[in-house]
Amino acid sequence: MLVAGIDVGAATAKAVILNDREVLSYAISPTGFDVVNAANEVIKLALEKANCSMNEIGFIVSTGYARSAVPFANKAVTEIRCHAKGAHFQLPAVRTIIDIGGQDSKVIRVNEKGNVVNFTMNDKCAAGTGRFFEVMAKVLGLDINEMGAVALKSSQPCQISSTCTVFAESEMVSLRAQGKRREDLIGGIHKAAVSRIVTMGKAVGYEREVVLTGGVAKNIGVKKFLEDEIKMEVVIPEEPQITGALGAALLADAELG
Amino acid sequence: MNTTKDLSTYLEERVSELKRLKEDGKKVVGYITGGFMPEELVWAGGAIPVGLNRGGDHEAVLKSTEYIPRFLDAYSRAQIGYWALEEPLYRMVDLFVVPCTDKNISSIADCWEMWTETKVVKLGIPHNKRDHAFKYYLEGLHSLKGEVEKLTGNSIAEDKLRKEVDLANRMRFLLRQISEMRKSERPPISGKDYIKLHHASFHTDRDFMIKSLESLSQELKRKEGKKGPRILLVGSSIAEGDYKVYDLLESAGADVVIEEFSEGMKPYWQEVEDGGDLIEALADGYFRRRIPPPAFFRPATEDRAAFLLKLVKEFSVDGIIWYSTLYRDSYDIGGIHFGRMAQSKDIPFIKIVSEYDDAEHGQLSTRIEAFIESIEER
Repeated sequence: MLVAGIDVGAATAKAVILNDREVLSYAISPTGFDVVNAANEVIKLALEKANCSMNEIGFIVSTGYARSAVPFANKAVTEIRCHAKGAHFQLPAVRTIIDIGGQDSKVIRVNEKGNVVNFTMNDKCAAGTGRFFEVMAKVLGLDINEMGAVALKSSQPCQISSTCTVFAESEMVSLRAQGKRREDLIGGIHKAAVSRIVTMGKAVGYEREVVLTGGVAKNIGVKKFLEDEIKMEVVIPEEPQITGALGAALLADAELG
Repeated sequence: MNTTKDLSTYLEERVSELKRLKEDGKKVVGYITGGFMPEELVWAGGAIPVGLNRGGDHEAVLKSTEYIPRFLDAYSRAQIGYWALEEPLYRMVDLFVVPCTDKNISSIADCWEMWTETKVVKLGIPHNKRDHAFKYYLEGLHSLKGEVEKLTGNSIAEDKLRKEVDLANRMRFLLRQISEMRKSERPPISGKDYIKLHHASFHTDRDFMIKSLESLSQELKRKEGKKGPRILLVGSSIAEGDYKVYDLLESAGADVVIEEFSEGMKPYWQEVEDGGDLIEALADGYFRRRIPPPAFFRPATEDRAAFLLKLVKEFSVDGIIWYSTLYRDSYDIGGIHFGRMAQSKDIPFIKIVSEYDDAEHGQLSTRIEAFIESIEER
């Protein structure tokens, strides 16, 4: 029986279709303003890729910040639990998940079954989230997808004292005026954001294997700066952005027994 | 008889009734509800005690910034905000008593002194229970008695005070009895309904409230509620109107089966023991024998931890939610301490911080739902 998981996050919506716990297809699309529309769009894309119709899907679990707004879902589960399930499926040895999404970041501790043992997440402030990187890229006139590679070139990352998105923006303008190198500015941004997330996660602690998920995991600079900060290897799943939707689909599969 | 319905009808009319009583010459003594202000003294003096304890909406917090810096906790700021917003209960007070437990609560007294015409009495609350501290609190009660007598022109006679202590003891007993019904696997009263009883008791007439609690207690004996994850809700202040944690838990299929707060709860774990000097008996019941010892009563922190663990056991608690308002420093520190303690004993624990802001709703709901999911998965 086919099942689906749908993760409607602040920046992107993701859908995964499973057939007997095998990924049949997945899709990622921008959330935009209308979350219901985003959910409809992303499931349509995933169904098209899997060459199947909605009638064939036996159970759908929704997750993400708009989880309760998905009209066609049979059940809503938090992204914390879905990330735990998804990451455990992608890498059974996982014990710590660092998830950096569009507007929030989380550190989740799981046990050998992929059950959540403890977790922490940022408050309503956007520091240490995808949004922080987006704003900084815009200030520096850079494509968000290039940021990580540039950050890796930094030999002396600038000290960015504020991780508040608003204050960091003005700090960036002033550092640029001081003639700092671009890669060091970008390295500094990465260091500041990563340090914020790592400090937040200390409340739950870090244990191997550490997996990085969420859209920001696609930024190769973040992985490197995280590893330097926690002094452990950080593993990135093949498609880190769909971990939550995958976990939701696995929970949908479990519902059908 | 539907007690809950009768109580809410009564509450809707209570403000108008208080206004009428004031017009007839009655005095109203407002106070901050940390459990250190014996209502008995006010009733015995012929005045009406009104606990000021509203919170949960951002409007009052925002309004307070005209009078108080932002970096004080949301609960304390709200107590100035509601006055500024001209909330009727906050505007009918003739005397305002603030038991000063920490700097946040003291700031409420400071602001009322600065900005209002109302006479403010600061009741100092020592942070230990040694003899000199007890004497200090007792002295505060004597002074409060004098203030009430001055306000009303009545002297507080022993027989009047004794009658009021008996009534207050009856109220404490009933609140405790109803709370303990939540030890049942299917609690007959929800956490939200229980905390609302406390909140109602801060501004209802004591005779009416006792009758309501008595009949509710009978009704509840015949009821059975829902079964689900059982939560101990701990923190500094649970304000009247601030029910979001209760609502979020309920929609996640869980509920609060026991709570442990200072502001927002009547002290109901122990009664005042009448014997000898009545003011001393009040000081003994409200201060020396107070259960549980608040976190700032060092070195009583361990006593409090032991008390919380006792609650976990007695009420078959599945997880602890530590709920604090933003910038409530002493409770922030306590939250870290208790969090580690709970986790070391394998009790699921989560800390939730609120600024009474609608924007935090999504975050809080994810945290609470995920917490309940992790409990259910154990």
